[in-house]
Amino acid sequence: MEPISAHASARLRTRTRVVLGGLAVLFFGMSVLFFLNLWGRTGPQPAIPPVDLRFLDTSPWRRTYADLVKAREDLSDYDCYACHDKAKPPVLRFDSGHRLLVPQEHANIVMGHGSHDRNNLCYNCHNEPNLATLQVRDGRELGFDNIPPLCGSCHGPTYRDWEAGAHGRTGGYWDRSKGAATRLSCANCHNPHSPRIPAREPAPGPHALRTAGPPPLPGGLLR
Amino acid sequence: MNASPSNSSDKTSDAAMSRRSFLRGAAAFGGLTALAASLAPLLKLHEFTSTEEFLQKYYKEMTPDDMARVLRRITAEVEREYGVRPHVRDLKPMDGVEFIYALNLTRCIGCRKCVHACVAENNPSLNPEIQYIRVLKMPHGSMDVEKGDHTYADKEVPEKGFFYMPVQCQQCKNPPCVKVCPVNATWQEKDGITVIDYDWCIGCRYCEAACPYWARRFNFTKPEIPKDRLNPDMAYLGNRPRKQGVMEKCHFCIQRTRVGRYPACLEACPVGARKFGNILDPESEVSYILREKRVFIQLKEEMGTSPRFFYYFDK
Repeated sequence: MEPISAHASARLRTRTRVVLGGLAVLFFGMSVLFFLNLWGRTGPQPAIPPVDLRFLDTSPWRRTYADLVKAREDLSDYDCYACHDKAKPPVLRFDSGHRLLVPQEHANIVMGHGSHDRNNLCYNCHNEPNLATLQVRDGRELGFDNIPPLCGSCHGPTYRDWEAGAHGRTGGYWDRSKGAATRLSCANCHNPHSPRIPAREPAPGPHALRTAGPPPLPGGLLR
Repeated sequence: MNASPSNSSDKTSDAAMSRRSFLRGAAAFGGLTALAASLAPLLKLHEFTSTEEFLQKYYKEMTPDDMARVLRRITAEVEREYGVRPHVRDLKPMDGVEFIYALNLTRCIGCRKCVHACVAENNPSLNPEIQYIRVLKMPHGSMDVEKGDHTYADKEVPEKGFFYMPVQCQQCKNPPCVKVCPVNATWQEKDGITVIDYDWCIGCRYCEAACPYWARRFNFTKPEIPKDRLNPDMAYLGNRPRKQGVMEKCHFCIQRTRVGRYPACLEACPVGARKFGNILDPESEVSYILREKRVFIQLKEEMGTSPRFFYYFDK
C-alpha cells in the first residue's frame, strides 16, 4: 500500500471532524425538537364518561293497574262512574273511514291496536255493562289487575309463550329452588291502546379511539 | 505512605486521561446508566404483582385453603385500590346444569341496555373502554356479520329495514380459544361456561385471534373503574377487577348465574329478547324455546364451534 501523504491525511481528518460534528448537531437538534414537541403529537385521549344512569334503569316501562294498587296510588283514573252514568253505557262514534273518534275527555288515549288500527271497538276489551271491568269475548269478566287472559284470547301463541316464560321480561332467579323469578304483565311493556313498542333513544355506542382527540399539545410548528 | 507513589499515581492518572480512557469511561458510565434505566420498571413491580400472586398455584390444583388465601388477598387488593370491601367468592359449576342463551332477534330493538348493564355488573375497564357485548345493526335479509355496524348512533331505534343482533361470547361447546391457550389459563367448565383465570393468563392474545366471534377483550392498560361504579359482588373466575395485560370476556355472569340468578344483560333487556337457563331442565324457558320455536341460528355454524348461544325468530 502506498503511504498516505501528510496533506491527504490532514484532509481526511478535517472531513471526519466535519461529518461527526454535523451528526452531533443534527442529533442534538432533533432531541430539542422532540423535547419541545414541535410537530404536535396528540396528548392523552379524553376520559370516557361513565354511561348516564338512566340507561342502567331496569324498571318496567309502564305501570299497570295492579302496580298502582300495590303502591296504594291514586286510582281515580279508573273510577269510570265518576263521570259515566251506570245506566247509560257510552256510545262509540266513528268517522267516515271507520276510525274511532276518541272523545275529548279521553284525549290521552292514542288508538293504534292491530294492523291499520282495526281493533278500535272499545267494547272488544272493556265491559259495556260495567266499565270498571274488562271482558273477554267468551263472556268472562276480568278485573283491570288481571289482563293477560284477555290479551291471550286473541294473541294465543304469545300468551302461551308468556306463560312458559319465553315472551316478555323476566328477572330474579332462573333456578326456582333458590328464589323466585319476577314476571311482568302485558301492560308493563305494551300500551293496550297502541301495543307496538315505540322507538326510543339507544344507549351510547362504543367510543372509537383516536377519532376525536383533544387539541395537540403546545407546538405544532411542523404539522 | 510516602509522597512519591501518590505523585507517580497523579502522573499516571494525568497520562491515563487520554482520549481512549475517557471514551472507555464514558461508555461504561453510559452503559451502566442505560442498564439502570432499563431495570427501573422493576421497582414498580409490586404494583403489578405481589409475591403471593406470583407464587399462586394453578386454579385446578388449589386446595380450599389455598383458595381461601387467594380470596383474602383479592379482597385486600380491591379494598386498597377502590376503597370498597368486595364479596369475592369462588363459585363452582352446579351439578346437572348446562347453560344456554337464546336471543329473540324479532324482539331486539338495539337499545344497547344490555351492553351497559353488563359493564355495570362485570367491572371491565371504563377507560379505555371494554365492553363484552357488541350490538350489530344489520340490514334485513342477511345474517352476514360483515354487514353489521356496531357504532350506530341513531337518534331512535329500531330503524326500519334493519334488525339488531347483540354478539357476545357464544360459550362454544368446541371453543377454539381454549385450544390455543399455551398455559391453560382458559378452559370450559362443566356447566358450559368458558372461564379465564386472570392470575394465570400471560396476555399472549392467541385466544383473541382464535375466537371467530370477536368476543375476547385485552387489557392494554391498567383498567380504570370509578369507585362508585364498582360492583362489589365478585367471583374469582368472574367479575373481580382485572389487571393490565390479561384477557377477559363474557362469562354468563358467573357471580349471578352460579347462585341461580339471571345474567345482568337479560334482566336489563326491556323487550325480553334475552332468555337464559338450564338446557338439561325440560321445564326451563330455554328448553321450551328450543322445542317450540322454529328458526335457529348458531352464529358462524360452519366453523364447527357449536355455540351455546342461539339466535331465533318468533314468527
